[in-house]
Amino acid sequence: MVRFGNKDLARYPFLREALSYVTKYDFRLEDLDNSEFHHLVKKAERKIEQYVFNGKLEYQIDYNKTHEIIVQEEVIIFLISLLIIKAISIDAVTKKFALMESMRFEKYLIEDLDISNQDDKTIKFILYKIFEDLFKTKIDLEVNIYNFYKIKINDYLDHPIAFHEREWNLVNRTVNSGYVYLDGSEIVRLFRNELNLLIIERIKKMTPERIPYLISAISHSMRVNWEKLYPPLRINPHNAVTPPCIQHIYDQIDKGENLPHPARVLLGTFLIYSNKSIEEMLELFKRLPDYNEQITRYQLEHLAGKRGNPKKYYVPSCEKIKLSNLCFETKICRGINNPIQLVSRKNN
Amino acid sequence: MTTHSSPFDELKNQSNDSINYHSSVHDDINKIWLERVFRKHYFNCNSNIEIDDFVSQREFGFRLFDGHIRRHLNFNNKNELVANIIKHSPSDIFCSSSRYHNPSASIDQKGWIGSDLIFDIDGKDLHLECAQIHNLTYCKKCKLITSKVHLNCIECRSASIQIIEIPCQKCIKHLKLEVRKLIEILCDDFGIDNNSINIYFSGNNGFHIHVKDDKFFKSTSIKRSALTQYLLGKGYLTDNLGFRLNGSDKVTILSNKILYNVGWRARLMKQLHLQLKNHRIDEKFIKKINSIKETSKVGLLNVISSEIENLSVKIDPNVTMDIHRIFRLAGTVNSKSGLIKFHCLDLESFNPFNDACINEDSMVEINSKIEMKLIMKGMSYRIKMGVNCLPEFVAVYVVSKGIGDIYIQK
Repeated sequence: MVRFGNKDLARYPFLREALSYVTKYDFRLEDLDNSEFHHLVKKAERKIEQYVFNGKLEYQIDYNKTHEIIVQEEVIIFLISLLIIKAISIDAVTKKFALMESMRFEKYLIEDLDISNQDDKTIKFILYKIFEDLFKTKIDLEVNIYNFYKIKINDYLDHPIAFHEREWNLVNRTVNSGYVYLDGSEIVRLFRNELNLLIIERIKKMTPERIPYLISAISHSMRVNWEKLYPPLRINPHNAVTPPCIQHIYDQIDKGENLPHPARVLLGTFLIYSNKSIEEMLELFKRLPDYNEQITRYQLEHLAGKRGNPKKYYVPSCEKIKLSNLCFETKICRGINNPIQLVSRKNN
Repeated sequence: MTTHSSPFDELKNQSNDSINYHSSVHDDINKIWLERVFRKHYFNCNSNIEIDDFVSQREFGFRLFDGHIRRHLNFNNKNELVANIIKHSPSDIFCSSSRYHNPSASIDQKGWIGSDLIFDIDGKDLHLECAQIHNLTYCKKCKLITSKVHLNCIECRSASIQIIEIPCQKCIKHLKLEVRKLIEILCDDFGIDNNSINIYFSGNNGFHIHVKDDKFFKSTSIKRSALTQYLLGKGYLTDNLGFRLNGSDKVTILSNKILYNVGWRARLMKQLHLQLKNHRIDEKFIKKINSIKETSKVGLLNVISSEIENLSVKIDPNVTMDIHRIFRLAGTVNSKSGLIKFHCLDLESFNPFNDACINEDSMVEINSKIEMKLIMKGMSYRIKMGVNCLPEFVAVYVVSKGIGDIYIQK
């Protein structure tokens, strides 16, 4: 029987087996005010700051300790992080944290599923523990064919990415004998959304009897900082009508949801049409959990025809918006075929 | 339910008062005659009506000769179904690909259990050149029928026309080719067992392929749409072949990728005469790509697009995606042609004009509006304008196609 090494468990603190490393010592979240945990609380606080305010994945596991302590500390830091996020209690913060944390685990998974680093048995065990046990999806390692992984077509199609991104559409996948073949990084990418949801779920499920004082103080300060940085969206000060499809996108941003590509294009072209500057648009886009200034700036400049191809992109028609499931039509939309037709109207 | 009862016992015992049809129209002599012939056919040959063990979980639909369509019908067993078919003699009989907890309820109340996977290959989607020659044009305004396909009536120039499909052996051959392409992908790529695939001639100018496979039975409409896109090759990226093409046909080799040579990739590579060594791109591959690019007049991207078009299966994606659709029931007559939706156990030897004709062969007279030649059940029938004496199975075809009327001497 292959077992996870301690090092592996430290990378996956959300696994039941990892959690057992702290529960066996009667660890309670309520005890976090004890000074013996302060260095771990500090580490969790730094991680959240990097994730939520800087959008950076710089967190490192400290391996210079005994295996048992590494796992214990990582599990406790993970739990502290969830508790701080729970106490902050802002949806957008929760979602941004969950996305960044899932990207961190994704990075570990890619390394651990790399056949040049691991033997087959360990890989199979990771696949079993994480995908089959946690996400209820069976993935097989096809050792004979360049160590590809394979997933049943029907299970593959359970993942939204199979419909949202062209290169992930079934027609652009390697399909054979009822299976979709993927390499290690592709398998992990497929599960990014599930990892993200798992973390959000764990945060929701946390019900401590009381929030320790230290955690309360940190979460309060972070909450204040966040609200200062991202005050509630006020989009149309001049009483102009906001098309319902655009309003829906604003609402999504306010909730901290990530936007699919077509929604970003719609918002970008709409803001360009509304004569917003690139800087003004970036202020809005930086609220997205996966915001990257360089990429967003490039894409907005591209849409505005200021980069590469001088073609300026027009706001998609209502028909195209409908096809992308982004239409939330109300009676004010009657008779229009493009959302920009509503811009000149004023609210009564 | 009784196992030895006849359809007529079922009719006597049934309490399904919801099927209270109007009798068929009595002002159209063709419809009256067809209704009578269909009833005679179902009375004599109902064993060919094909329904699985889940008859009570299926929704049925009847189109009657008066034009009314009745959906949400439900029968407890095959005998009850057959009894109702004989009683009402519908022009067309449909059955759901889905199974429901309450098949007779409205769509949102039915309680969907799952659905077989269905593919529809229709002759008109093949856009064959021969169809322009052997199909007929019916003018809705002046009622003239002319040979060949025209955009306007050649007599009154009206654009209000209808094409009458008269498939030829070449059409059938091309349709079979599409069926074989579909079966290959279903088996090789989707891993469906050949025994789970049933091929049916649609009864007119196409084939229906029914797949009963647990893997896809519960698949939602959106999952089925992904399967159709795959079969159509829609949205295929050339990156999958190991190179990227920009608008001006500039080739960038993606040399680090391992290209497991199966599925669409293998089929396209074969068509393009490209070979991978150990699932990787080598010098020979790059040379060949450049040679196609240099020798092709239309450009590499167009060469690939054209191969994708050739390899794609010409299915109607809407049919596969629609999990609440009712399909023509196997073994029943298609009123567009008077031919039967026929289970093709041997696709190669299948000939609709031999195998899918109804059995009725008493001689009747029809008044044809056009001259034409038909070969049915191995016999050649030269039909002239005016009154012709023909066996019923030929006459049903001619009348169903709208190219002749039943002739009753006054």
